[in-house]
Amino acid sequence: MIRLVAVELRRYLHRRAVLLLLVACVAVPVLLGTVAVTETAPPSDAEIAFAQRQLEQDRAASDYSQIVADCVASPADFGLPGLTGAELEEQCRAQVEPQLEWYLDNRRLDLDDERRGSGAAVASFLAILLLLAGTTFTGHDWASRSVSNQLLFEPRRGRVWAAKAVVVTGAALVVGAIVMTTYFAGLGLVASSRDVLADGQLLDAFQMGWRSAGVAAVGALLGFSLTTLFRSTVATIGLLLGVAVAGSLLLAALGVEERWNPAINLAALVQDGTTYYSESACVEDPGMEGPLDEDGYYHEPCTEEVTFADASAYVGSFVLVAGVASLVSFRRRDVP
Amino acid sequence: MSDLVIETSGLRKEFRSHRGGLRVAVQDLDLAVPAGGGVHGFLGPNGSGKTTTIRMLLGLARPTAGTMRLFGEPVPDRLPHVIGRVGAVVESPKFSPNFTGLLNLRLLADAIGAPRSRVDAAIATVQLTGREKDRYKSYSLGMKQRLAIAATLLKDPDLLILDEPTNGLDPAGIREIRETIRGLGEAGVTVLLSSHILAEVQQVCTSATIIGNGRLLASGRVEDLLGSSTSHRVVVPDPPQAVAALMAAGLDATAEARAVRVETEDAARITQVLGEAGIWLSELTPLRPDLETFFLALTGSEQLGGQA
Repeated sequence: MIRLVAVELRRYLHRRAVLLLLVACVAVPVLLGTVAVTETAPPSDAEIAFAQRQLEQDRAASDYSQIVADCVASPADFGLPGLTGAELEEQCRAQVEPQLEWYLDNRRLDLDDERRGSGAAVASFLAILLLLAGTTFTGHDWASRSVSNQLLFEPRRGRVWAAKAVVVTGAALVVGAIVMTTYFAGLGLVASSRDVLADGQLLDAFQMGWRSAGVAAVGALLGFSLTTLFRSTVATIGLLLGVAVAGSLLLAALGVEERWNPAINLAALVQDGTTYYSESACVEDPGMEGPLDEDGYYHEPCTEEVTFADASAYVGSFVLVAGVASLVSFRRRDVP
Repeated sequence: MSDLVIETSGLRKEFRSHRGGLRVAVQDLDLAVPAGGGVHGFLGPNGSGKTTTIRMLLGLARPTAGTMRLFGEPVPDRLPHVIGRVGAVVESPKFSPNFTGLLNLRLLADAIGAPRSRVDAAIATVQLTGREKDRYKSYSLGMKQRLAIAATLLKDPDLLILDEPTNGLDPAGIREIRETIRGLGEAGVTVLLSSHILAEVQQVCTSATIIGNGRLLASGRVEDLLGSSTSHRVVVPDPPQAVAALMAAGLDATAEARAVRVETEDAARITQVLGEAGIWLSELTPLRPDLETFFLALTGSEQLGGQA
């Protein structure tokens, strides 16, 4: 079996389409990471000097003293109740007069933001690219009919299926884990160098990255299974595209809860749980009468949660059904 | 231990068409290919079930009914135990087009743990040395066919199953493959050669099975199938004189251009009669029915793709 896995790994790594997809798995995160780092770079001395000049021009162009006086006279109208004296005047000036930071792009590199933003985008790209790699890997075997030649050397079809499945799943897991870990490690390094890295942020990001790698591996296995079942890359991509495009619309038309939307469940896997809009939740918890959370806010009404375990069961069921159907079909059907 | 390398009994394969009909590709086929080397022809018109039978033997298709054995082992159940002794080319060669010929062979060799040296030797045997690092899709049909034969040699097989192995080859290539097949047969490898080029089969095969419409029509040694000669062709200086002498001796003879056709199995009697008449023959040839004639006589009434 190990020998067969090694052969399939070589076959996988020699496929041109697979190699291109693996290159894209590196190129896309590099691109998105570069954008994230560049867009959150601290202002340069020249930018600060330019902003300072603009600030001085604007302060000189208008008289803010009357508005500051109004603020001091009626602090409640300016959202500053309870303040008095010098502190009140200082706050009023800060609110009314232009401030330097207004002229600078204040976006900081925040790993929590990147985890939900560019990190989620990288995870999505990886899942799609590695699913396509799994699909095209086995689709090529069927298109070229070389699978029959392979079976003349190893007729135990279950083993052949398993070896290919191990390779596409394992490769996706390893590539996904390396890319996501490197992505967040790179951002973490930059954030640390800018002194904006908070405790625990990097670990949270790594955990999200590893969950994403798991999703990518499951996607690759699903792509492989469906393509082996249909014996066609086009059929698999068509089906998945159909589910992605029409799936939500169909569920909505049928009145099925968002809980069963594949996208919601994939998001729950990557984000370790997520929430979705639920009509039934609105009925059960009308208005703003829910319990306060630890930050003192009411829970948002009309939402319910999909936990990581829920999503795992949901996605796992699909992959299990597709995998079993694929294996049974591969073992029993005639090979062209 | 069976003395048959291939044995099928009541083998049947049905295909369901998209319109719900049933097509019987192979029906109740009893095939027996003896062990001990030699080339066994597997003949039949296009669509007669040759390739389907081969695909079932190799585990690529499941039979609807019947049993099959390779080296005495029931297949497909015990196929993994005997596949290492079987090399096969089924229909057209099937390799990854973007891989080199060398990589295609190495992947197959690695799957069975064959040494790299065997890959090089196989490439040399089919004379692809120098082109093995070219992409498979750049190969001519003949080169693809030779690569497929090289793949069969990776296992050092006791049984070779070759389905139309000379398709696409030029005359020189056909002769090379024919010599390779003959050599393998003489070296103790049993070769099942499926082909519809009957002249080629007759040159290399010691035995043959002929099927038509998925059914066995004839099987046995080629000589037995064709039978002994019942007439002879005699080249003599004066055919009319020879015909007169032979007729006088009670033999049925007719003059042809610069020769005489004599309807008898007894060649010695012909030479005796002509010698006593003072006629010296320069050539005496037994006229045997060829495989093509025999094949057409057997399969002429068969219709392809029987419906059930």
